[in-house]
Amino acid sequence: MKKLNEVLRDWDVTIGLEVHTALTTLQTKMFCDCKLSHDDPPNTNVCPVCLGMPGALPVPNKKAIESIVMAGLATNCQIMPRSYFYRKHYFYPDMSKNYQTTQGPVAFCMHGHLDLEVPGQGANGGYVTPIRIQRIHMEEDAAKMVHVGGQEGRIGGSSESLLDYNRCGTPLIELVTEPDIRTPEEARLFMEKLRQVFLALGISDCSMEKGSMRCDGNVSIRRRGTTQLGTKTEMKNLNSFKSLHDALAYEICRQAEVLEAGGAVLQETRHWEPSKRRTVVMRTKETADDYRMYPDPDLAPFDLSEEFVQACRARVPELPDAKRDRYMAELGIKRKDADQIAGSPAAALLFEEAATMAPECAGLVANVMVNLAPAATAITAAQVAGLAELLRDDAITFAQAREVLQIVDGTDADPREVVDKRGMRQITDADALATTVDEVLQRCPSQVAQYKEGSRKVVGFLVGQCMKASRGTGNPKLFNKLLVQRLDEMNRG
Amino acid sequence: MERLDLLSAWQIRAGIEAGDFSATEVAQASLATIREREPRIQAFLQVCDDLALKAAAATDARRAAGQKLGSLAGVPVAFKDNMHLVGSRTTCASKMLENYESPFTATCVRRMLDAGATPVGKTNMDEFAFGSSTESSAFFPTHNPWDANRVPGGSSGGSAAAVAAGEVAIALGSDTGGSIRQPAAFCGVVGLKPTYGSVSRYGVVAFGSSLDQVGPFGRSVADVALAMDALVAGGRDRLDSTSQNVDVGFANCLEDPVEGMRVGVIPSLMEHKGLSAEIKEGLEAARKALKGQGVRIVEVGLPNMDSAIAAYYAIGPCEAFSNLARFDGVRFGYQEPSCETLAQQTAFSRAHGFGAEAKRRQLLGAYLLASGVYDKYYYPAQQVRTLITSDYAAAFKRCDALLLPAAPTTAWQFGHMSDPTQMYASDLFTISNNIAGNGGVCVPAGLGSSSGMPVAVQLQGPPFEDKKLLQVARAVERGIAHAGLFEPNTVAPSFVERGGDGA
Repeated sequence: MKKLNEVLRDWDVTIGLEVHTALTTLQTKMFCDCKLSHDDPPNTNVCPVCLGMPGALPVPNKKAIESIVMAGLATNCQIMPRSYFYRKHYFYPDMSKNYQTTQGPVAFCMHGHLDLEVPGQGANGGYVTPIRIQRIHMEEDAAKMVHVGGQEGRIGGSSESLLDYNRCGTPLIELVTEPDIRTPEEARLFMEKLRQVFLALGISDCSMEKGSMRCDGNVSIRRRGTTQLGTKTEMKNLNSFKSLHDALAYEICRQAEVLEAGGAVLQETRHWEPSKRRTVVMRTKETADDYRMYPDPDLAPFDLSEEFVQACRARVPELPDAKRDRYMAELGIKRKDADQIAGSPAAALLFEEAATMAPECAGLVANVMVNLAPAATAITAAQVAGLAELLRDDAITFAQAREVLQIVDGTDADPREVVDKRGMRQITDADALATTVDEVLQRCPSQVAQYKEGSRKVVGFLVGQCMKASRGTGNPKLFNKLLVQRLDEMNRG
Repeated sequence: MERLDLLSAWQIRAGIEAGDFSATEVAQASLATIREREPRIQAFLQVCDDLALKAAAATDARRAAGQKLGSLAGVPVAFKDNMHLVGSRTTCASKMLENYESPFTATCVRRMLDAGATPVGKTNMDEFAFGSSTESSAFFPTHNPWDANRVPGGSSGGSAAAVAAGEVAIALGSDTGGSIRQPAAFCGVVGLKPTYGSVSRYGVVAFGSSLDQVGPFGRSVADVALAMDALVAGGRDRLDSTSQNVDVGFANCLEDPVEGMRVGVIPSLMEHKGLSAEIKEGLEAARKALKGQGVRIVEVGLPNMDSAIAAYYAIGPCEAFSNLARFDGVRFGYQEPSCETLAQQTAFSRAHGFGAEAKRRQLLGAYLLASGVYDKYYYPAQQVRTLITSDYAAAFKRCDALLLPAAPTTAWQFGHMSDPTQMYASDLFTISNNIAGNGGVCVPAGLGSSSGMPVAVQLQGPPFEDKKLLQVARAVERGIAHAGLFEPNTVAPSFVERGGDGA
């Protein structure tokens, strides 16, 4: 099979994503009062409503509607003043009523977009491209099915299927993009960005691993220069950013191989097997499924008042892009660092607190956040600020900062005290270091000669010698400065 | 001592309060009457002696303790068997739910119990409420107390028959296309379908969610009003998002004069070619009764009424298909034994758990909702619904209530109605009410001159004006009694003559 880069030279790719996000931060299910939980014993958080018992009726969860409206506002969607719940019918034991309550042609949120910034690679410059969002609709999750006795928990060959209805009725929002995505990389970046936005909104834990954020990808290819879209296939089991990228890349190459060999791509649903790094057919769609969708008569048309939408708007926090721009403009943080910090609500919170404590070295605070903090488990803003100040004062090296972080992580110790107590503070007194510099220069006449001949590389070696001589207590930057001063003096003299 | 089974709900309530008799005595009398009469009527699928005696004992204890008694204290009440009552099965008269124990109590049942009612049992019905004769019950048919060779109507036939036979004072039914009003008419009792949203549907097994409405049967308008006050007390039910707040006060305004009110008639319906002579006589008697009390009769039109049956038989089956999809034999209900695959188990559980009419309606619904078909039937049916609703709105600008037939004929004999579409057509006068959602009530207007069976008329009112509707119904009842045609609180005569040895 050809490599993706080769395929992309001859073929245009069209990708659309469907992203399901479980509203895990809510307390109760979509249409009943049952507790939302992933950890309780099977079938303990159930009631007549989510079990679909005869006579039970759904009552919508107001907080879930608030969440989806916030999601719509954060992705530039139009919030529809009137939308409807629909019933989508299919017989399967994971759906207790044998229909799923979802939305029809008019969803709560329609016609949005997210601007995607694709970083440059090598010769190619970066670019910004809008990815349109067709809709975000509200629906309920199905029960969890566990197949026993088959391979990898799959239904094929299994002897029994177990049902856990704890998940049945979990509020889900499904976002559907327009087919605006052109590469697997764009797809991955879109998912990352969407996850950052939803995390900032606090509507879900967005764990792809636990399945609270799930993604299906539709992909088709067509020859460059042609306009007729190819037949698409749908990819399932894309439960990590890597799987999403790799499965789409594989599928694009597979379709190209089929078409280049004169074959035809079939409209089918395929399953990504991460261990074998390939997609396999799950089911072929010869005819479209008929779900017999119609408006749910148990749930009246949903009219969202302007006040309700405004109240949701007021609850939308500063989003990652705006945060990043603010960090750059107000604090002078590098774009890459600002992007990374702004993408995580927890990191942003920690950063902003630490930056307030050490306002004159926000850049170093960001540096600590990006390069050191991710390795820590429980670090405080005061500790981040303390480390940044130590670095600003050249009191420790970056390598030492990493060491200090490990020591203070999980405690409330002040990094400055740790450095002092352990004698890690570097000597930054030029007079104290000058003696060492002179000793080293005396010991290394050949390097001095090389410097004289124009080799600047030897300074690094000489700094190393100074560090060794001072048993690591001298500040390398200062040694460097003093060495160059002395060498230049010697040359002049 | 008085015949307790012949007392009205008001009389029972008052007698218990006054200490003339106890709730337990009333419950025992009701249970004894049921034991005696059931072999001929078969109105009940279950009789709940324990629940009844326990509730009655609680009422007696309240009285003994000097506590305030509920508005239905000690009144024996029966519930259609699509309503959940903990301690009883809820079968929907279907093999599918033959052994299904109610997992919770329906809000409408709970409110009757909260008002002090004594629950005596669950009544027979057409399977899942699909039908107009109670013949499609999977267990046995119910007989009309006025003539055992005739049907009691349906689908709430058991509830209507139990009230008519004096087995209980009040029963609840559900009405999707006439299922309270038509059996009330056939059995000579009063039956109200309140405005959609007045009574909670929570705990009532759904047939057509946008059409279903629970309402009471009684042997007088006053008893029906008493039950309505209990059903709406407590306001909208937060478990049914289609339910609405309705103020109590149904029982207070019944004797208010109707003088100066306008009641509309639709000439084409009053002279409808399908109406029997007896029915026309009943309508004339009701018209006279109203005129005699100063009501002005005005002519109005419902121009889209002709499309009501077609719209109903699109919307109803679609909702039924969807609501009954949950009966797959996996979690509850009939499960076909020894199946190899899940698909087989689902298919055979449904094939053998549902009766013919239930299957017919679900197949119809599955077809009507199919892609490509939906736009041809379901969607236009909803458009018809809008038209009929605006027809009613226009008509009610000109009148306070409508007077129209309840059914084309009096109760028919068993086996008389074999073609399902013929039976569907008999719902002509009741169906438009469910489509538009407003309230309707049937009141006895005498006995047929040729059949000797009860003849009823129907009154319909504007949405959420059911108090005024009952006020007009009471005027008809009063005028009909005054004319010597039919007394309120009449128990089917064969049983009055036979006597009640339970009392």
